Amino acid sequence: MSVNNRDPLVVGGVIGDVLERFTRSIDLRVTYGQREVTNGLDIRPSQILNKPRVEIGGEDLRNFYTLVMVDPDVPSPSNPHLREYLHWLVTDIPATTGTTFGNEIVSYESPRPTSGIHRIVLVLFRQLGRQTVYEPGWRQQFNTREFAALYNLGLPVAAVYFNCQRDNGCGGRRN
Amino acid sequence: MATATPTDSMHRVWSMSSLKSSLPSAVTCRLPSPSSRRPVLISSPSPRLPSFSGLSPVNPLISTGLPGWQSFEDGFKIIDGGGRVYAMRHGRRVPKLNRPPDQRKALLRGLTTQLLKHGRIKTTRARASAMRKFVDKMITLAKDGSLHKRRQALGFIYEKQIVHALFAEVPDRYGERNGGYTRIIRTLPRRGDNAPMAYIELV
Repeated sequence: MSVNNRDPLVVGGVIGDVLERFTRSIDLRVTYGQREVTNGLDIRPSQILNKPRVEIGGEDLRNFYTLVMVDPDVPSPSNPHLREYLHWLVTDIPATTGTTFGNEIVSYESPRPTSGIHRIVLVLFRQLGRQTVYEPGWRQQFNTREFAALYNLGLPVAAVYFNCQRDNGCGGRRN
Repeated sequence: MATATPTDSMHRVWSMSSLKSSLPSAVTCRLPSPSSRRPVLISSPSPRLPSFSGLSPVNPLISTGLPGWQSFEDGFKIIDGGGRVYAMRHGRRVPKLNRPPDQRKALLRGLTTQLLKHGRIKTTRARASAMRKFVDKMITLAKDGSLHKRRQALGFIYEKQIVHALFAEVPDRYGERNGGYTRIIRTLPRRGDNAPMAYIELV
């Protein structure tokens, strides 16, 4: 099914800021502890300290997928000059399995937003075959579109996003 | 009807007390009284007035000195914003947010300050849709960029660093966009009181 204008990814601005329009073709289930991540869910940093359990669909074990987890609202949604921050990068995930079977290029770093409400996007790309992906030099200023173009990953096959803000409220007025 | 002849009718001067005494006494109207603000008491209609006739002028011979008493507006030359009073809410578009006007203004000022500071906030749907107008107004002031507009923005937004940052970055960020600088995304209701919530963010 293709994304329409009411799709949460379009409404939340993920398609536009991070991704292009794509057709969802693979199931993607991300679970933090007991909570399954749905689009736009509100999660606190204390609940996402450890990497989530990711299960992808598909049928053929010979297809490999790449999972990218980025935060497009760094350092603050009102001024995202460090867009995007790469939190996790796992390649060579066989279909129907999870990230534990993949190759973790960039280790999981739990999001700790300081200011505002950040969107955290998890994107799944399909690889043409087993390929070596080089980790980027630094985590910020990551560009998902360029990354996909660089490694010929094409359009995404699945994506999900959630919202994250700091634990103790907005921090008050800091002069 | 109380036929209290206006005392100064001979001078053709129209006064509030003459008007109030001439009206059918079953009416409570919000006409601003220049002197004191005593509430107008509703007394039982006098026997000479069998039915309620609204605010229409019952006695066309009231000496207001104005010829051509034709309709409702002619007799009521009240200098106000042109406001009419209806019993229903028809056509009123200002959201009240269950607050008195001063508190409402302070709430909207605080919300726009926080939105301009953080870029995305989560609040109730009514507040989010009420603050769109003020956020757009602030961004329009920043687009203009003159000193007068900057001072107007400083009078509305609570933190001055935000105003200066806004005036610095708005021309780049919203230069081509005409209006519609916010986006509202509805979300799950709040647990405590099931209030419908929404994210409002700067586009």
